[in-house]
Amino acid sequence: MELSEDDVLHILKLIDESKFDYFQLEVGELKITVSKGDPIPVSAAPQNVSVSQTPSPAPAQAPQVTQAAVASAPQKEAPKPVVIPEGHVSINASMVGIFYVAPEPGKPPFVTVGAAVKEDTTVGLIEVMKVFSAVSAGVKGVVTEVLAQNGQLVEYGQPLFLVKPS
Amino acid sequence: MSVTRVLVANRGEIAVRIIKACQSLGIETVAAVSEADRDSLAAKRANRVVCIGPARSSDSYLQVGALIAGAQGTGCDALHPGYGFLSERAALPEACTKHNIVFVGPSADNITKMGDKLEARRIAQSSGVPIVPGSDHAKNAREAGALAKKIGYPILLKASAGGGGRGIKLVSNATEMEATFSTAAAEARAAFGDDTLYMERYVGNARHIEVQVLGDHYGNVIHLGERDCSLQRRHQKIIEEAPAYALAPAVRERICAAAATLARSIGYCNAGTVEFLYDNDSSEFFFLEMNTRIQVEHPVTEMITGVDLVAQQLLIAGGQALPYKQSDLKLHGHAIECRINAESPRQGFRPCPGRITEWQPPSGAGVRLDSHCYPNYVVPPYYDSLLAKLIVRGEDRLQAIERIRNALATFRVEGIDTGIPFLQFIIDDPDYRGGKINTRWLEKKLEEYSASYAVG
Repeated sequence: MELSEDDVLHILKLIDESKFDYFQLEVGELKITVSKGDPIPVSAAPQNVSVSQTPSPAPAQAPQVTQAAVASAPQKEAPKPVVIPEGHVSINASMVGIFYVAPEPGKPPFVTVGAAVKEDTTVGLIEVMKVFSAVSAGVKGVVTEVLAQNGQLVEYGQPLFLVKPS
Repeated sequence: MSVTRVLVANRGEIAVRIIKACQSLGIETVAAVSEADRDSLAAKRANRVVCIGPARSSDSYLQVGALIAGAQGTGCDALHPGYGFLSERAALPEACTKHNIVFVGPSADNITKMGDKLEARRIAQSSGVPIVPGSDHAKNAREAGALAKKIGYPILLKASAGGGGRGIKLVSNATEMEATFSTAAAEARAAFGDDTLYMERYVGNARHIEVQVLGDHYGNVIHLGERDCSLQRRHQKIIEEAPAYALAPAVRERICAAAATLARSIGYCNAGTVEFLYDNDSSEFFFLEMNTRIQVEHPVTEMITGVDLVAQQLLIAGGQALPYKQSDLKLHGHAIECRINAESPRQGFRPCPGRITEWQPPSGAGVRLDSHCYPNYVVPPYYDSLLAKLIVRGEDRLQAIERIRNALATFRVEGIDTGIPFLQFIIDDPDYRGGKINTRWLEKKLEEYSASYAVG
C-alpha cells in the first residue's frame, strides 16, 4: 500500500482532530511519528517501541477481559491483561502459536527469572503447524517474570516475559 | 461431525454476519483478529478473541499457519473463511483437513477446479452449460490473432488465473492484438504468477447475472434463484438485486438450472455462486466463472428466499443434508442491496478511513443492515472500504426502490465520507428505475456525476 501526499495530509488532519497526544504510523517503508503539545519524554514512549514496535499491549487487550468474563464456555480462556510495572519492558510474542520455554521436553528452560539476556538471546520457541521459530529477547536486561505458560497458545503481541532493562 | 466452535477467519461485516449465524445455531465463536481489529465489533461479539498477527493482512488474515494455530489453540473444531482473503485458496481447506478442522466451505478440489478459469470453462462446456464464444489457451500473439479472427472482434483477453474482474484486457481490432497480448501476459505473470491467457467475445450490451447454489455432502444441489449485479465500478459491484428484473421466465429457469448442473458436475459441496453474462440483445446467457465462497451480496437472496445462507454453510459443513428440495423454495418480492463504502465520491472515490463520529443507520419495514460499524469506530486504513450493506425488500421492484431511497436518505454518517450521495444519484436515475441498464451503464453515470462536481 502506498500513501500519497493527500493521504498523509488526511491522516494528519485525523490526528489533529483526535484526542491522541502521540501517534506513530508505519506503512511499508514510510514511518510517520506525530506528537502534540509537550514533547513526549524520551524515556516514556520508546520503551515498548524498542522491544516490539507495538503500542503497550495492556490497554489494547482490555476488551478481551470483558469477553472472557461474559464468554459462555470456551475451555481455553483468553490471556489475562498484563500491567507492565514502571521501569520494565515486556518481550512479546512475534506470532500466534504454541509457546515453549525449553528447546525440547525435559530440557531446562532457555531462561528463568534472574537470567541476564541480550537482544539476541533466545528466550523461547513458538510453534505454528510443526514449524518452530525462536523468540529473541530484543532487549538487554534481566528477566523478572515469566508470564506465558509452557505449551499454551500465545497470541500475536502477547507479553511473554518481563525484563528490567540494563 | 457437527460443528461446536468456529474460528471466524475474517474481519469487517462478514465476521459479524458469521458470528450472528453461529449464535442462531448455538455454536461458539472465536474471532481471529489482526492487531488493528482488536476493538472491532466482531471481537466484541465473539465468545473469545485471538490475535493472529499485525495489521497488515499478508501477516495476519492471509497466514494459513496463524489461522490454524489460532483455531487449534482455542479449541475450535471448524473455521469459516468468509469472503476475500484466503476463502478461495485450496491451501486453507487442505491445512484444515490435515489438522482435523472442518472448513466451512467447499472442498479443496472444488476450489482448485473453479479457480483455474480456463479449466472451469472446459468443465462448463462438457456439462452442457453455454460458455462465451472464445478460445482455449492462446499461446502467443500470432495464435491469438488467428483465433480472434474466427471469434470476431472486439474480444477480451483473460488471464486463466484471474477472476473477479481482474486480469482482463479489451482488444478492439487486429492491429491492437500484438501489443495488448504481451502486456496482458506480463501483467498476468506479475499478478498471478501464471501468464496463461484465453479469449472471449466481448458482449457490449450485457448484464451480470449470477445464481446462488447450495450443495451438501450427499450430492444434493439446489439453486436459490439469481441476482443481477450489473452495476459495477471498476469491476466492483455496488448495487445488487434479486431477482434479476425483466428476465423472461423461460430464460430464468434455464440459467438457474445451468448453475445447478455445473455445481452438480463437480460434486460441489457448500455455498457457491455461478456467474453468467447475459446478452441484452440476443437474450443468450453464457457461463463466466464460479465463486467458491459466500459472496458479499448474499443477503439479497436471503431476503427473497428466507434462507439463512451462512447458517446453511455451517450445517452443511457439519454433515447435515440440505433441508430443502428445489420445489420447496419460493421467491417472495424483490430485494436490493447498496454497498456503503468509506470513500469520497466527490474526490474521485478516494478511500476515506478515520473515526466515525456519528452512525445512525436507517430502520423500518423490510430494511436490513449488515455492518461492523458503530459510533466512534475508527475505520482502519489497511483493509477494503466496505462499511455496511444496506438491504431492503419490497413486494415488487418499485417498492424496493422506494424503500432503499428512503433508507439512504435517513442514513446519517459523520466523521468520514461515504458513497451514499452517489448511491442516491443512481437510485434516482430514470434509467435505473426503468431497468434500462447494462454493465457499462454505471461508468457512464460516473462521468456525469464527476462532471457535475468538476464545474463547481
